[in-house]
Amino acid sequence: MKKRGTILVENIVFIILNLLFLVVLVLFLIKQGSGAVVLEQTYSKQIAMLADLAKPGMIIKMDMSKGKKLADDNGIDFNDIVRISDNTVRVKLSSNVKAGYTYSFFNDVIVSPSAIKDKGEYTGMYMFTISAK
Amino acid sequence: MKSKAMNKKGTEKILTIYWFIVLTIIAGGVFAMVYVFYSTPYDARGIESEIFAERIADCISRQGIIDQSFFSGKDFNKAVTGNAFTKKCNINFNVEEGYGDINQIQYFYRVEFYTPKNTVTPVYSFYDGNTNWESDCAIKKDSKDYNRLAYCTEERFYALNKGGEQYLIKILSVVGKSIKNVK
Repeated sequence: MKKRGTILVENIVFIILNLLFLVVLVLFLIKQGSGAVVLEQTYSKQIAMLADLAKPGMIIKMDMSKGKKLADDNGIDFNDIVRISDNTVRVKLSSNVKAGYTYSFFNDVIVSPSAIKDKGEYTGMYMFTISAK
Repeated sequence: MKSKAMNKKGTEKILTIYWFIVLTIIAGGVFAMVYVFYSTPYDARGIESEIFAERIADCISRQGIIDQSFFSGKDFNKAVTGNAFTKKCNINFNVEEGYGDINQIQYFYRVEFYTPKNTVTPVYSFYDGNTNWESDCAIKKDSKDYNRLAYCTEERFYALNKGGEQYLIKILSVVGKSIKNVK
């Protein structure tokens, strides 16, 4: 009886370790998929493509709630994550000085980004106002 | 009996160690694959070159009628050069400072007008941008080895001038930017 009990404990420990391994693996995959590096690149390329398609007078709204969550976690003001100057979009979601991703667009227009607020709180939406140079 | 029992215990231990080695190899493989997947940049050049070609097409014709500035009387207006068209179309090529080869233009386009009778020799053409990229379009890109070459899009459409004459217009738009889009 004592021996059987030992085998059971070993099996339970083994199963727990296996489950732990799977959990760590899944967490790693989720973290990588929503990481700052991936989101910075995605957002900057999306914004550049939108700017290429835009015409003066347009107002474009974009959902960046995933970026807001990450910016909040990293202590960055949501309104500061997108910077656009000289036809180059820069998205920065982490506080690291070297962090951020830039991508350029060819459409010669001025794109002004601003985070949308509702009752003093950021909604996770960004607004891009397009005007002629 | 004692020896058999000891052997069993030894086998179990070896199995456990083997199992953890297998798990470590699997974990290492998954980590490596995920790292490679997420560190490879998303290639946006296909979309970008299509948008670029469409922008040029929009500047050439509206609702199937070629902009009158392309003609001087019955002939093509030779004043419409690549540079002049780029400015008129609100296209800015000088946007690449800070990455890649500094000041190297990452775009190129060529516009050619053909008559329906002769679709081989253009009656009028102009281009602008970095001419080095154009040669990349001639290479077949079936293999992954060619990912670092510029991305090309060719668009063709028919349009009329105000006199009702039909033209076939071919637009070749090219986007370099391999540093930002290909690993």
